[in-house]
Amino acid sequence: MRTLVELWPWFRKYRWTYALGAVALVAAVVLRLWIPTRLGQAIDQVRDALSSPDTADGAGALAARAAVAIVGAALLGAITRTTSRLTILGACRLVTHDMRQAIYARLTELPPSFYLRLSSGQLLSRALNDVQNVQGLTGPVLMYISETALLFGVAITFMVGIDPLMTGIVLIPFPIFVWRSRQLARRIQEGSRQAQDSLGSMSEKLGESLGGVQVVKTMGLEEFESRRFGERVDAYRDLQLDVARARSTLMPMMGALGGVTLALALLLSIPAVVRGDVEVGQIAAFIIYLQLLAAPTGALGFVISSLQRGAAALDRIDEVLEEPPGFRTEMAGAPVEDVEGRIELRHLSVRGTPGVGGEGARRELLSDVSFELEPGRTLGVVGRTGAGKTTLARVLARLEEIADDTYLVDGTPVERLDLGGLRRRIGYVPQDAFLFSDTLRNNLTYGAPDAPEERVLEAIEIAQLHKDLDQLPEGLETVVGERGVNLSGGQRQRVALARAIVKRPSILILDDTLSAVDTDTAAAILSGLQRVLGTCTTVIVAHRLSTLRRADLVVVVEDGRVVERGKHDDLVRAGGLYATLWQSQEEDGNPFQDPAEHEEEARR
Amino acid sequence: MTTSNGSTVRATEAIDFDEKGKLDTSLFRRLWQVMRPQRGLIATSLVLLLLNQSLRIAQPLLVALAIDLHLAPPHDLEGRWAHVAEAWKSLERAVAGVVGTSVHPLVLFAAAIGVLVVAEYFARRGQLWLLELAGQNALRTLRMRVFRHLQRLASSFYDRTPVGRLIGRVTTDIEALQELFSTGVVTILGDLVNVGVMTAVLFLVNGELAIVSLCVVPIFLFVTTFVRRHVRRAQDRFVSWRSRMAAFLHEHIVGMSIVQSSTRERDTRDRFGDVTGEMLDSQLSVVRWESTLSALIEMLGSFTTALILWYGGGMVAESLGAQDAAGAGLTVGTLFFFVDLMGRFFQPLTDLSLKVTVLQNAASAASKVFRLLDHEESIAEREGARAPAPAGGRIEFRGVRFRYPTRPDEEVLRGIDFTIEPGERVAVVGATGSGKSTILRLVTRLYDVTEGAILVDGVDVRDWPLQELRARAAVVHQDVFLFEGSVLDNLRLSRHEIAPEAAIASATRLHLDRVVARFDGGWDALVAERGKNLSAGERQLIAFSRTMAAAPEIVLMDEATSNIDTHTEELLSEGIDELLSSRTSLTIAHRLSTIRHSDRILVVHKGLVVEEGSHDELMARGGRYRELYERQYDAG
Repeated sequence: MRTLVELWPWFRKYRWTYALGAVALVAAVVLRLWIPTRLGQAIDQVRDALSSPDTADGAGALAARAAVAIVGAALLGAITRTTSRLTILGACRLVTHDMRQAIYARLTELPPSFYLRLSSGQLLSRALNDVQNVQGLTGPVLMYISETALLFGVAITFMVGIDPLMTGIVLIPFPIFVWRSRQLARRIQEGSRQAQDSLGSMSEKLGESLGGVQVVKTMGLEEFESRRFGERVDAYRDLQLDVARARSTLMPMMGALGGVTLALALLLSIPAVVRGDVEVGQIAAFIIYLQLLAAPTGALGFVISSLQRGAAALDRIDEVLEEPPGFRTEMAGAPVEDVEGRIELRHLSVRGTPGVGGEGARRELLSDVSFELEPGRTLGVVGRTGAGKTTLARVLARLEEIADDTYLVDGTPVERLDLGGLRRRIGYVPQDAFLFSDTLRNNLTYGAPDAPEERVLEAIEIAQLHKDLDQLPEGLETVVGERGVNLSGGQRQRVALARAIVKRPSILILDDTLSAVDTDTAAAILSGLQRVLGTCTTVIVAHRLSTLRRADLVVVVEDGRVVERGKHDDLVRAGGLYATLWQSQEEDGNPFQDPAEHEEEARR
Repeated sequence: MTTSNGSTVRATEAIDFDEKGKLDTSLFRRLWQVMRPQRGLIATSLVLLLLNQSLRIAQPLLVALAIDLHLAPPHDLEGRWAHVAEAWKSLERAVAGVVGTSVHPLVLFAAAIGVLVVAEYFARRGQLWLLELAGQNALRTLRMRVFRHLQRLASSFYDRTPVGRLIGRVTTDIEALQELFSTGVVTILGDLVNVGVMTAVLFLVNGELAIVSLCVVPIFLFVTTFVRRHVRRAQDRFVSWRSRMAAFLHEHIVGMSIVQSSTRERDTRDRFGDVTGEMLDSQLSVVRWESTLSALIEMLGSFTTALILWYGGGMVAESLGAQDAAGAGLTVGTLFFFVDLMGRFFQPLTDLSLKVTVLQNAASAASKVFRLLDHEESIAEREGARAPAPAGGRIEFRGVRFRYPTRPDEEVLRGIDFTIEPGERVAVVGATGSGKSTILRLVTRLYDVTEGAILVDGVDVRDWPLQELRARAAVVHQDVFLFEGSVLDNLRLSRHEIAPEAAIASATRLHLDRVVARFDGGWDALVAERGKNLSAGERQLIAFSRTMAAAPEIVLMDEATSNIDTHTEELLSEGIDELLSSRTSLTIAHRLSTIRHSDRILVVHKGLVVEEGSHDELMARGGRYRELYERQYDAG
């Protein structure tokens, strides 16, 4: 019931479609049930007519009339049935279409902190599987339930008209069968889910074993591995067989329902036969009704499950839709025309959002961070993994929600600046160097679709992409990303950088952007950057400290706090955390390995 | 290409496993081979299926008899139907002789139906279960066969075949084969038998009416085939749009921060609207065609009822009179029988056309699996290969040149010559792509050299039995292979020739006992999948201990690059010393301490050994080694 209330806003738009569907459905069910009645009637009439020689001649006409009526009812039934299906099943697609749009629209408004809370897999499953389940709920399930309810209602009315006592007794097996089918359906679904998991673990094992096939071979582990794989194959088979056991009980059981009620009906007709006043047409109609009722009963167990699944799915969807969109800019003034690039943080603190279900405490990601940076200057951010560097980069890229008056651009708090306008002036290169499955050109101009060709070429030059471009089959028009040409990590990072350069931003934020680029190329890129973006304020988050030797200011972040600040040389001399990191990079590093190798090895 | 054997030429071509398969006799023959061991189960299931199908027809037959004998008896019966009725009557008399006449004959009908229901239930249940069991057993065997086959395939195969695709073969494709059992051949046979028996029975009861009723069947087949083609086309379109929608969504969820920082929200919303709009269109067209289809099926069913009533009940009765009609086998009972049977007639016909599609999918999946099984590409062992007597583990590279079969244009090793004497400790250094990892791979014959030869203990590796070679020359990999099980299990890797005590003893020599002492349960402590609950250093120590326990002559090591805490670092470098002492070793070195402790260093550059010597010698020489060394430290 609650589910229906929650669904109402979605239904509202299509309420007349649903209403039409409901009317058509009632008509279709009534017509379908009327046919056996008419048939039974016809049989009795024809029999009566044939029993006396006077009226025998009229029997054919009677039968023909009944046949015409049945054909008419069947035609009308087909029309109404098609109407009801088209309207209800069509409307449920429209409802879920709206839902999908709403979810996506909300996703575009939510801050990255939300994306940290729910993994991309979870979000995807909400927009795909959950919507799919709601579609089942608002369409087929709704229709099945109303049709079955109607079918029972109307059929029982007709049957009671024939013989109330008989009807009552014949219906007794139904609830028992429904209860048992519900049990079995639950077992089948639970079992299928487990089997699916088991299949997942089997393919995981397979991936591990084949991915490490060289290890397996050189260590002579073939037998060992195939035994372990065999265990998973067996586990999967056993689970599948559990499901099969339940299914092979459920299916014949539902077939038996018709037979059991039939036997009952025959037994119950004995008194009438003994009395000698049996209306055989009515008994025939009665039997046909029973079979019509028995057919959908078997599916009831599954329908209840989809009902529950649909309701749970709706809750999960609502969770996304009710998430308040981030980035309040109520007091935003005029659209941002240009940005000089002075940035300032004032006692900035950011709290992490807890995971779903409250797991994971709200720990401070950044606390009390302050600094000022004049236009055109470069800031370096250093710290161990998890220190809060990426959060800081995202705050500066205006992608994180923060308290008022903590982040100022050109002296104005960001919440007073138009969100889109400000972001257009910021170039942000995230750590993971994500590319869309699109042509290289479209990826490069993603932040500035109208950028002139020379700006694109210039960005390619700076990001040292020209050599890679020659290797791509269709140059700039090559499709890259997940469904295109597979670029190496270093190449992806440089494309992501070029994408930000094409934007010609006033503020450029590089979050560990050159980690997979070798030292020489990185140096060339940095000097190129300075040439083109001379007046651009740059923030570089880096692991490789040599990148930061020319930065105007370096802040060292530890547990969300700025623990040291200054220029590279001063910090090295100061002997704090920065100096320790610097030293360890100097000593632990392998002289004969460039950073690209980490990645090379990881991919093997 | 300079290779001598033909198989490598073929090996450069990607294998198209995705080519569509056809349903043909050779495919069926191979499928039968897979199913053959299950033939007992399948045959039993088939028998039960036939039983089940005939029991299903018996039910309406009984009702028809009940009507004609007791509920609405005609004046008298003649013809074939009368024989059936007569047979039943004699049964009734026989039963009455036993239980007396106080029981109404209809009770016998009800009882008979009851028995039929129970019998049908068990027959069907048994049939479904046995079929499923046969299918699951066959699939299990097939999966294991594919897995073992995959293990035999050479490294060159894996270089050009994504593992994901192979996983698909073993999971999804073999899964599709399951359909072959549960909705496949046997059930199709069942449907055919069902339709056949029903037709025969209808003709037996009344041929004329049977012809009239079956008139609807060709119309039914024609109409449903036509509409179903549209349904399928719409569905294909829907599936393709749905996957495009999912891909779009996935990509934009992952890249949302790029969308937001590029202020393209509105734009992507529009584009998402376009994609889902197209998907909606295709969905609605599926709904339209499906609704039409189901309405048509229902309507044709009712038409058949009307036809039987009109023809059977009306025309025949009128022209012949009631008595003759009964003589021709037309009674209320038979009319009911026709209506009921025709109601069951369309379901198996509908199923049949659906199952053909399922079968086609299964066939194409099967042919993919078989094509993989047919693909032979493995490192051949010379016939009668025998391992030489242990000679301390001497490794010799003689003019080794090598190209990866997948990248024949690129010569990775361009003439490598060196010898490692028994007991010598050698480090290999060089930049990425210099070929140092390849050198290690060639020693254990993951690939065969393109030119030249590699000798271990004086014998070409191609003349060694593969197992022996890999037992004599153990590899310590960067990523340590660990699985869920006890520490001890992970040390022994279920090699029974290594006694638990021996494994612990070798581990203790490497001081793994000090680490293990900290674990709950000691040597029996549980290691998580892939060793997730251990530190990188602990994992390395286990790898060393494991190699130590196997007691190889030669150790080939790819040193781990991950950062390791100082305490474990000490244990590790002591461990390496212990492991490598008195063994021949070749290490791809990443740590300065490893390099310095080596007897000799090979500097590899662009597929050649450009320098060799100890650290001090090489520094003094001032060549490539020194250059590499200084560039790293001057960067600071």
